Amino acid sequence: MKGNARLGLILAVFAAIGCGTLAVVQGITAPAIAMQSEKALNESLKKLFPEAASFEDITETLKSTSKTVSFEKAYLVKSAAAPLGVAVKAVGSSYGGAAKLLVGVGLTRNIAGVTVLELADTAGLGQNAMNDAYYVNKAEKITFPGQFKGKYLTDAFEVKKDVVAITAATISSKALTEIVKTAADAAAAWLENQAAPVATPADQAAAAASGAPAQAGAAPTGGK
Amino acid sequence: MKKLWNIFKAGLVTDNPLLILMIGLCSALAVTSTVSNGIGMGLAMTFVLLFSEIFVSTFRKAIPSSVRMPIFLIIIGGFTTIVDLVLKAYFPELSKSMGVFIPLIVVNCIIMGRVEAFSYKQKLVDSIFDALGMGLGYTWVLVGMSAFREVLGNGTFLGVQVMPQSYQPILFFILPPGGFLIFGLFIAFNIWMKNRMALKAEAAAAKENA
Repeated sequence: MKGNARLGLILAVFAAIGCGTLAVVQGITAPAIAMQSEKALNESLKKLFPEAASFEDITETLKSTSKTVSFEKAYLVKSAAAPLGVAVKAVGSSYGGAAKLLVGVGLTRNIAGVTVLELADTAGLGQNAMNDAYYVNKAEKITFPGQFKGKYLTDAFEVKKDVVAITAATISSKALTEIVKTAADAAAAWLENQAAPVATPADQAAAAASGAPAQAGAAPTGGK
Repeated sequence: MKKLWNIFKAGLVTDNPLLILMIGLCSALAVTSTVSNGIGMGLAMTFVLLFSEIFVSTFRKAIPSSVRMPIFLIIIGGFTTIVDLVLKAYFPELSKSMGVFIPLIVVNCIIMGRVEAFSYKQKLVDSIFDALGMGLGYTWVLVGMSAFREVLGNGTFLGVQVMPQSYQPILFFILPPGGFLIFGLFIAFNIWMKNRMALKAEAAAAKENA
């Protein structure tokens, strides 16, 4: 019995030292990591909306209606004067696991752009969705996510019809298209609810409140 | 000195963790589709292995054998998390491309295996050389495999196009079956090299006796 207590104590000491060290390292690296992800996000948001000046977090009011696609973050993108559109960071599952996409929707209900943030599909096949030098349309140098730019939400979003698939990666292509479609629809619905441009913080709160009930019945965001 | 060199050399060829001991294979097959992944994974694993072995060897007298496994895990997990955090903070590109593999270092059998079989019983200096040998042994196989796979399967080396534009990449090599094939060829090559070394050593020994 005494021996067991001693073993437990030794184990506890090692665990405590380990925790302490990690806490210190975490403390040192946390600001740098936060800065990196902020920078990456800002860069990708700027890519979708070049005139963007500021971003407003609307994650709370924009919820996914799909079971397979969940939204991690959502931003209302604004230029100096007026809102430009909504950007949604959506997560869904693709061939090789979770896929993270940033989908931008403009005020005219068309897609401002799509960026693949994270993807773990087969290198050389599905992973080409992240490859800036892989073109689904070689003549016009359009990448797989690039083809969504300017696409209207009234389109069918069907792979091999109005969406060009990545060669030999139909599952990836379909999964990514599904994520784009879900995120874009939700963003457009959100914009619809907010028809009037946001003016003051009070208006904003009211708009957010009016936007929320419409989404209240939605299924809880999916994910395993 | 001779002994340390032998320990180091064992990791490279005669006891190569991947090709002879056959441990840590999952990571080797998973990340070797590009050379930069191979280098990154190899170095990250070597770093964790080195510090885990140093730590375990230093404190081997203080670690009771009945709870050694959980303590090893705390040590290995700790260093892996440090690598993960540092990569995320200062090398975001590398961290992005190896994202899912770094946490897997924790369960890389090479580290657990070497810590258990070697540094728990050996002196600090020996452990350092074992870690460097095993780490480099792992790294060279990763880099070698990924070089074949990236050049044949994607036409590039370290992301730079090396095959002529007309070359149609053989996707087979990027996919898992190609990984297994290349891995098998590496095993064959290593065994050939090991046998050659043994023959040479025998010949040298015979000469000395004669």
